[in-house]
Amino acid sequence: MKVQVKLFAFFREGRFIKDDKELPDGITAGQVVDDLNIKREEVGVLMLNSRHCKFETVLQEGDIYAIFPVIGGG
Amino acid sequence: MAEQNKKNILEHIVQQSRDKSLSLAAAQNIAAELECSLRCIERIALKNLIVPARFKRNSLSCPEQLRLLQSRVAIIGCGGLGGRIAELLARLGIGHLILTDPDSFSESNLNRQIFCTTQTLGLNKVEVLARELGTISPTLEFTLNIKQFNRDSIATANIVADGLDSPAARKSLSALCRKQNIPLVHGAVAEWYGQAGVEEIPGTLINTLYPDSHQTSQAPPLVLPMTVALIAAIQSAEICKYLLHRKSPLKRNFLQTDLLRQEYDTIPFAC
Repeated sequence: MKVQVKLFAFFREGRFIKDDKELPDGITAGQVVDDLNIKREEVGVLMLNSRHCKFETVLQEGDIYAIFPVIGGG
Repeated sequence: MAEQNKKNILEHIVQQSRDKSLSLAAAQNIAAELECSLRCIERIALKNLIVPARFKRNSLSCPEQLRLLQSRVAIIGCGGLGGRIAELLARLGIGHLILTDPDSFSESNLNRQIFCTTQTLGLNKVEVLARELGTISPTLEFTLNIKQFNRDSIATANIVADGLDSPAARKSLSALCRKQNIPLVHGAVAEWYGQAGVEEIPGTLINTLYPDSHQTSQAPPLVLPMTVALIAAIQSAEICKYLLHRKSPLKRNFLQTDLLRQEYDTIPFAC
């Protein structure tokens, strides 16, 4: 199934800003994070079709999935 | 203050103002002659639609400028974000700043903290800010807390600015603000990237941005000065808008910026 994955802030570095991915049915939001070599503890916000989701959320054909890191400096 | 006194002060203000504007020198002369505070002179001027000259280019109305003069903002953390916010709010004309930070300036602050210079290394941040801001706005009043923040650091504020540098501290501050029903203007930075938003009551922003699964890294965050200046400016604009009852998309969305690609996204946090 096709899912558009969008990355934000420093997650973009060495990866991509937006990518139309072919993913296996039943894959979860967390598995996509793992496959991108992003540590789950670095993740702040996950959005699926403009709504917040969790690592356990199962992705569907045509979803737009966005991953934001924790930003903590000041 | 007796009505007769106020009338006397106003007569002096009207006499010495030009084009509905009162210079700082004229205000200081009136204050000395009539033995009242500069702040009192400027308050009476604004009430009578005469603007202190240094605020003229703010292009705010006199009632708006008076509202800012009568406002109290707590700045928690007076480093990169907090120092810049304090400087902008002093220039804007906020009347009272509550500054809280236990730290002194160190060499690693020189890259981004506006009042950190080779002359202020080793000096307490809060004390340096109060000294420097007083030269920008002589009517600005301060409460100085050279210690970690607690409930008293925000208790008398209309709004709180987040100038902290760790997710754990931000969660504590957000909890204190919720308990006391005070809005929190959040900002955070990492390298070329920043975020900002306004947490009103009841708030969900900080808990959304900093989930419990997050592990705080031991290494200090990497921070560029341009990102700090941008995010502090956005936070200051949100504080100004809140105090003047203006609307803002950042009450329901957080802003995410990418200075490498000049992208600015707003993302809903309350859905």
